Amino acid sequence: MATRPSGSNVREFLKTILLLELWVGLWVTLKNQFRPHITVEYPKETVALSPRFRGVPRLRFDPQSGEELCIACHLCETVCPDDCIHIVSEKKPEGKGKRLVSFEINYERCCFCGLCVDPCPTKPLTAIYMSHDYEMADFKREGFVAPLKTLLGGISPTEYKE
Amino acid sequence: MGADLVQQIVIPTVQILIVILLLPLVIAYLQLVERKVLGFMQVRLAPRRVGWHGILQPIADAVKLLIKEDTVPEKADRFLFTLAPVVTVIPALAALAVIPIAGASFTLLGYQVKPWITDVNVAVLYLLAISSLGIYGIILGGWASNSKYSLLGALRSSAQMISYEVPLGFAIIGVLMLSGSASLVEIVNAQKTARIWYVLPQIVGFFCYFISAVAETNRVPFDLPEAEAELVAGFHTEYSGMKFAFFFLAEYTNMIVVSSIVTVLFFGGWLRPFPNVAALAWLENGWLFFVPLIAGASLGWLVDQKARTGLRFMFAGGLLGAAVGFGIASADVMGLASASVPYLSGAFWFFLKISFFLFMYIWFRGTYPRYRYDQLMALGWKWLLPLSILNVIGTGLAVLLFG
Repeated sequence: MATRPSGSNVREFLKTILLLELWVGLWVTLKNQFRPHITVEYPKETVALSPRFRGVPRLRFDPQSGEELCIACHLCETVCPDDCIHIVSEKKPEGKGKRLVSFEINYERCCFCGLCVDPCPTKPLTAIYMSHDYEMADFKREGFVAPLKTLLGGISPTEYKE
Repeated sequence: MGADLVQQIVIPTVQILIVILLLPLVIAYLQLVERKVLGFMQVRLAPRRVGWHGILQPIADAVKLLIKEDTVPEKADRFLFTLAPVVTVIPALAALAVIPIAGASFTLLGYQVKPWITDVNVAVLYLLAISSLGIYGIILGGWASNSKYSLLGALRSSAQMISYEVPLGFAIIGVLMLSGSASLVEIVNAQKTARIWYVLPQIVGFFCYFISAVAETNRVPFDLPEAEAELVAGFHTEYSGMKFAFFFLAEYTNMIVVSSIVTVLFFGGWLRPFPNVAALAWLENGWLFFVPLIAGASLGWLVDQKARTGLRFMFAGGLLGAAVGFGIASADVMGLASASVPYLSGAFWFFLKISFFLFMYIWFRGTYPRYRYDQLMALGWKWLLPLSILNVIGTGLAVLLFG
């Protein structure tokens, strides 16, 4: 305090007496009134998702043949840290390999880490992928255990109506 | 005799009814404006779900308050609990009786209708007295609720309002000395004769008055009685439904009253800006031009919340309004400009000034954090009181030497 030159004391005094900081505050709020708002009115409008957005994991069909891509290798089930994937498979009646009997993902447990996608061996598209769905609220717990049909077809949230 | 009766009793009664019936609507929309302005200041959207851009939100709120269950705490003093909101609201409404909204009377069906309900020659004293009565309602409400938050809120409120009453009174004295009258109409007329608004000679008094008045109305940054962070909701914690609405009504009525007093005492009431500059005489007629301009600008301000980029929409609306206003004013189809100048022009300038001060209230709320209790007391007693007393002495000397 002692080292402060006397000129700045006068300035400080004037600042206090003229309520300078209060005026600055008022100016800031006045200015901000005219800034474009940043609120997204969610059900009516949504934010744009980035391509790498990790929504709920889902399975997909082969885009050409329309068959399911999964070869029932159980790798995703093995790697899943939450144990939320449950696969039942059987040997194909003819030819090599296995096919799916059921494939369930428990969304209550899923932590959206995307680890199941990494080891998936199907090329060039992985059978399991992180979709862009995120509207997955439900009224019953059973709704969160997605069967194969849901995994392939996707969940269909109710559209928001005004 | 009959005509006298109408003049003396019927007309003021009708005026009172108009004020009482119109005021809740005005206050409901004032609250919408407050929420809008606060929302915009915080770069977010304000209510806009009920009606077009939230224009019906106040109606929805009012309906909600009306049909809400009216609870009374079990241990509360039922009689005082019910009495408190009424005691708060009545002085607030009564204060409006002396506010003049324009300078000239007009004639309706052969009777003279004055732009004020009554012109008392001690109006300033009356206002000071009646605005102090409002505290009783708050104290009663806080005490009768039998809740610690309410009681603490009421205690704070009483301490605060009593401390700020003193600088409030002293701040007005300067104006009284300059005008030589305590009637609000006379004070405005004195400003007209002096050809200057009293803010200029009484800038210190104005600051003291306005700050104290914000404290008196328990608004941010002096809203300690209802400090939601500490006291839930302060003195009205236990209130719901219409009783709560009454407290709400009283608070906003007080805001309007304070804005009116500031306008009348310091900003020339219904006088146009710069009443001493003859070149601006066209402002007398300005309301025809300004009303559409302001309406357009505020509509533009309200409408485009989607891509609000700066002042563009306000400008567009204002320009459009100004064009319309200019058209009306130059054509003067209904003869409004020439026929009703003193009354409508006065009312326009008066309400414009009031709106500005109401905006200041909201602006403060969007800007300032709440005072701590000891800071509040220090500001009131150590700054405002000495300042207002010095202002009284200074004004007195000036009047003595130059007046």
